[in-house]
Amino acid sequence: MKALHTLSATELRDAFVNGSIKATDIANYFLARIATHDPQIKAFLQVLEVRTQTHAERLDKKRASGALLGKLAGIPIAIKDNMHIEGELTTCASKILENYRAPFSATAVHLLESEDALLIGKTNLDEFAMGSSTENSAFFQTHNPWNTRCVPGGSSGGSAAAVAGRLALLATGSDTGGSIRQPAAYCGLVGFKPTYGRVSRYGLVAFGSSLDQIGPFATTVADTALAMEVMGRTCNFDATSLDLPAEHYALATHLKEIKLGIPRKVIEGLNPSTRANFEEAIQVMKSLGATTVDVDFDILKHTVSVYYILATAEASTNLARFDGIRFGHRSKNATTLDELYFQSRKEGFGEEVKRRIMLGTYVLSAGYQDAFYKKAQKVRTLMIEAFETAFGTCDAIVMPVTTNSAFEHGAIQDPLQMYLEDLFTIPANLAGLPAVSVPSGYDERGMPLGVQILGPQMCDTSVLSIAHAYEQATRHAKIPGGFA
Amino acid sequence: MPAFDEQTLHNLEKLCRIDCSPEEERKLLDSLNEVLGYMESLSEIDTTNVASCNDVLRGMLKNRMRDDIVANTLSREQFLSNAPDQIGGMVRVPPVLKTS
Repeated sequence: MKALHTLSATELRDAFVNGSIKATDIANYFLARIATHDPQIKAFLQVLEVRTQTHAERLDKKRASGALLGKLAGIPIAIKDNMHIEGELTTCASKILENYRAPFSATAVHLLESEDALLIGKTNLDEFAMGSSTENSAFFQTHNPWNTRCVPGGSSGGSAAAVAGRLALLATGSDTGGSIRQPAAYCGLVGFKPTYGRVSRYGLVAFGSSLDQIGPFATTVADTALAMEVMGRTCNFDATSLDLPAEHYALATHLKEIKLGIPRKVIEGLNPSTRANFEEAIQVMKSLGATTVDVDFDILKHTVSVYYILATAEASTNLARFDGIRFGHRSKNATTLDELYFQSRKEGFGEEVKRRIMLGTYVLSAGYQDAFYKKAQKVRTLMIEAFETAFGTCDAIVMPVTTNSAFEHGAIQDPLQMYLEDLFTIPANLAGLPAVSVPSGYDERGMPLGVQILGPQMCDTSVLSIAHAYEQATRHAKIPGGFA
Repeated sequence: MPAFDEQTLHNLEKLCRIDCSPEEERKLLDSLNEVLGYMESLSEIDTTNVASCNDVLRGMLKNRMRDDIVANTLSREQFLSNAPDQIGGMVRVPPVLKTS
């Protein structure tokens, strides 16, 4: 049998179910890989060694008893550390939650574990998922397995690095403005943000509640669909959960009768190498039978403004709960209640989180609400309408994920420049659309690039289906050197 | 748009209940001015008669209401296990009212 880390999640599950390998061997194999390779990339904030081994022992007994095994039986999966696993720490990579232990599991996590996935560890992120490089973690930086001088992207950079280094075969991320798709592209993985409401947000620490969506990282589109089959369930504990039956993700191998919209104007400014890679991806899709049509998205040039008004406004509200009273860090330097708020939040939050809370409070304040928050909510309507018009002429829209491949640590210092990194990923969040990032090759530095496919709301299956046809025709995904 | 100045920043710190060091304040002032300047381009867009987006799924999303049934979902011990300070089974906080 091939080395376990070179298998897809689906193949590994089959190997366990048909008796080729024991769950305890899988657990030990991946825990050993983490011990060997994680010091180079630092993807994990915590490795759940005991939990993984105990669960694996239970799975071996379950298999021996002849009981029906779950859809994810024996698959090691990494969980972004802003999602609760009952009894384990949830730090959000923030000092303010350094010692917070989750009293319950997130619905998505619970569903994964119920289908017999092995929750192998909690992964690093930008503090409270605020960032595009995982450099904003309060604990340490994560490195890209393709080149450890480069960032893995963010905010779900730990999850992306863990799967890229094959320290886990699946991982969860949360995507508020691209936090799954951008790191997936930077690390050569498939990353999927479902339609808003498809995966329950219960147990996910809230950032921008009208934008947040949980989704998977995987090495193949089929594995992505498998994880979505499990996580994409309606939930009574999330008031915005979609009341729809779980999707069955039928994946195509051709694109006949598929019309793809290309926002030509939006991609004009790309650098030559990213652009050539993108054009090549379009050619492949055409060769699979797709036709293309230009779609006009002039309004998209305003996405970064709209997003950073709405996301920070929602964040400033959501993060008001971290006050040092009921849970989280409490300052030792305060004598009055008011001082306790000020000092706990000063000591607990990092620079970027403070910036976003202040920006969000500012755009919501009485004097500026009309010019910023209310204006942005109206422009968001115009963007949703622009997508609706576009989807009247095409089945899906194809865009790059990022303007470049992964940048080096410290290369982007200016907050606005970092925000502009999210230009191509934000639109799907603002319009609630399903969008996937699929590997599309490598640039001249040997760093992975991704192409993004966006579909109308609820059309999660067609987005993954197009991605699957493209992936099967190209097979760009590889294991980075040093992790093979 | 009036400039985003030091006074505005101090007001925001109060509203946000966040104290900042002078070094942090300098950085915040620069970066927030830059970001807000960038965002001003929104004023170019005509939004007359455009409705505010209050529901991203435009009617597909229904509030999921359920019966309000009392259940023991989080025990006192579990809740207090994350509390920074406690007394007699309750969360302890510094005095809210000053004693004379």
